[in-house]
Amino acid sequence: MFGSALFAPIARAAGASLVAKMPVINDGPPTTAIFTAPQRALMTALSERVMPTTDTPGAITAGVPAFIEKLLADWASPNDKVPIVAGLDAIEARSMKDYKVSGSKATPAQQDALLTLAMNDQIPGGANFFEPFRQLVIVGYFTSEVGITQEREYLPVPGEYNGEFLYSKVNKVYSS
Amino acid sequence: MASTNRFDAIVIGSGVSGGFAAKELTEKGLRVLMLDRGVMVEHQEGYTYDGKPAYEVPARNMMPQSLMQSNYFIAKHGYVAPSNQKFYNDDKANPYDYDEGSPFYWIRPGAVGGKSLIWGRWSFRWAPEDFEANKRDGIDGVWPIGYDDVAPWYSYIEKYIGVSGSRENLPYLPDSDFQPPMPMNIAEKWVKQRLEAKFPGRKLINTRLSNMTQDKPDQNRTKCQFRNQCSNGCSFGAYFSTQAVTLPAARATGKLTLRSDAVVTNLEYDAARKKVTGVRYVDAKTGQAQVVNADLVFLCASAMASTQILMNSRAPGSDKSYFDNSGTLGRYVMDHIFRVGVRGDIPGMEDYIEYGRRPGGVYVPRFRNIGGEEGVGFKRGYGYQGSARREPAKPVGFGASMKEGMRKYGGWKFDMGAFGECLPYADNRVSLNASKLDRFGMPVMRFDVTFRDNELKMMKDARQQGEMMLREAGLLNVSSSESEHVPGDAIHEMGGARMGADPRKSVLNGWSQAHDASNLYVTDGAQMASVSCVNPSLTFMALTARAADHAVKAMRA
Repeated sequence: MFGSALFAPIARAAGASLVAKMPVINDGPPTTAIFTAPQRALMTALSERVMPTTDTPGAITAGVPAFIEKLLADWASPNDKVPIVAGLDAIEARSMKDYKVSGSKATPAQQDALLTLAMNDQIPGGANFFEPFRQLVIVGYFTSEVGITQEREYLPVPGEYNGEFLYSKVNKVYSS
Repeated sequence: MASTNRFDAIVIGSGVSGGFAAKELTEKGLRVLMLDRGVMVEHQEGYTYDGKPAYEVPARNMMPQSLMQSNYFIAKHGYVAPSNQKFYNDDKANPYDYDEGSPFYWIRPGAVGGKSLIWGRWSFRWAPEDFEANKRDGIDGVWPIGYDDVAPWYSYIEKYIGVSGSRENLPYLPDSDFQPPMPMNIAEKWVKQRLEAKFPGRKLINTRLSNMTQDKPDQNRTKCQFRNQCSNGCSFGAYFSTQAVTLPAARATGKLTLRSDAVVTNLEYDAARKKVTGVRYVDAKTGQAQVVNADLVFLCASAMASTQILMNSRAPGSDKSYFDNSGTLGRYVMDHIFRVGVRGDIPGMEDYIEYGRRPGGVYVPRFRNIGGEEGVGFKRGYGYQGSARREPAKPVGFGASMKEGMRKYGGWKFDMGAFGECLPYADNRVSLNASKLDRFGMPVMRFDVTFRDNELKMMKDARQQGEMMLREAGLLNVSSSESEHVPGDAIHEMGGARMGADPRKSVLNGWSQAHDASNLYVTDGAQMASVSCVNPSLTFMALTARAADHAVKAMRA
């Protein structure tokens, strides 16, 4: 009644492995370059204009540009990079036309004007670029250490729940 | 050497049911072998990302799209994320079938502990009504047991695991033996007061949740810390999981052997003695197949996986299971129907906000067809799960003004979603696809399960009633949505090996014991003859403890 019997290993389906290792998420440097050096410089400058340094650090200090390139290279759908790259090129062309300098070298006010044109879809592919890019910056920022611990208040262990907490006691928006 | 290969009982699966089976049987003195197909995850040390902020989790804790499509195309309908990836099944490695036009989302776990590590933790007793409904409605599938048979076991389970909730004395939703409820927030209280005043007989109550509000020092468990880390595994042991609760108890007896990566393919059977004689499993790490024996077998692999194992237990060359003399095995598969949501803005109370991240929220218990059909065009009913909260403002534009605009919260918002009861249908069934074997040599499951007219009418009503309740209660900008209703999506799949008094119409008797094998008990969702509209796990645990008590008494009789 007790005991166990050993059998030969079962037949394996051709080409299939029995052992399924958990797929590992690539968390290293981007496996492909999404941007040319000029595109990267412009993307970096514009990310800071979306989420600028004020009394807390902005997008660049928070590492948002590297996050955006990594996400577009390895984590997002392959198509997601298309409107971003196209929008950067359109903004670059407009910068050369309006300001005679590369977008990354334009003044912050000029960069804001370029972003506004994109936001209002007044350059080719502007609207298709602006909102996805804005969301990339916001997500990258609020999942960064700067966003979570400096711009917002990080409470890893609240320890209690109060459903009638006075709003006047809230210093910063809480990280979720 | 200790006689580690000698067991009195084998428990297949380690989720809410398997974990409790192991605890109960070992505490009654049995030497138990628990097998689980998943990888080992130890309490605390196995929770790799518990308490980690997003920047310390791969991919900022957003599942990469390519991985979602290649390996988690079903799990994505659950709550898979990089922080809990190992708790979920790899859909590519473990395929199953359905017709393109009628999908079934079989959302499976991938680790020891099963769905106890990924569940929503809403915990309700069934009502007497639920056990009587099939009989009352003239629907095939009369329950052989009633509320009074299960009530003491509910109490036993609740006291042990810790269920928080409020005593309400409602006719439909029996109270549990509760720890104090997690409080409602000020906005939920406002909705409650106005909704209940406008709709006599309808209630909005505190969540009933297997998250503790009081410590259990004897179990080394600490009450909920309101971190919102449940889905990563809770190192405080604040919610019920196998790892936090039943596995330590079973191990403490010194009588438990746990083998992970052990994929059970079938049960061996002695037709003359009507007993299970062996459990065959494949070690996923080595490919070795092995048969283990014991006097008693508890099959708790989850509703669909247990049904698959039962269907795959058959004589060589036969396609008929040893356990299907009734012809009902694989039939009457059900899930709760959901994906109807209603929402609205709650005016005022902007001087207040929540502190702490509370699991759960509020519940609107079923109010339709209680005590009999009310002429609303469908049988049975639904309840709503919801909550009120304030979220950071979402200003448009960019730059310093946008950043500053995000530094405040918007007003209170409320939303809730309906969970409805699905009726049992003989042709909502699963079967084995003999022409397609998985990597363990087991025929893959094929699902032929659809929601029917009764369920779809119920959801339409839930949408209309939900909108009306929120409007009448005074919420603003009330809206609703309904998305595709796919069976399995609620992750409350049940049935396939139902309980019944008549061996010609059911697989199990009223003790969760196989009609065709006196030493086989199936105590997970497979045994359910109907599904109520409330979350099922508490009932699985109660039926498991009840079955374990019966099995050991029978062994010793």
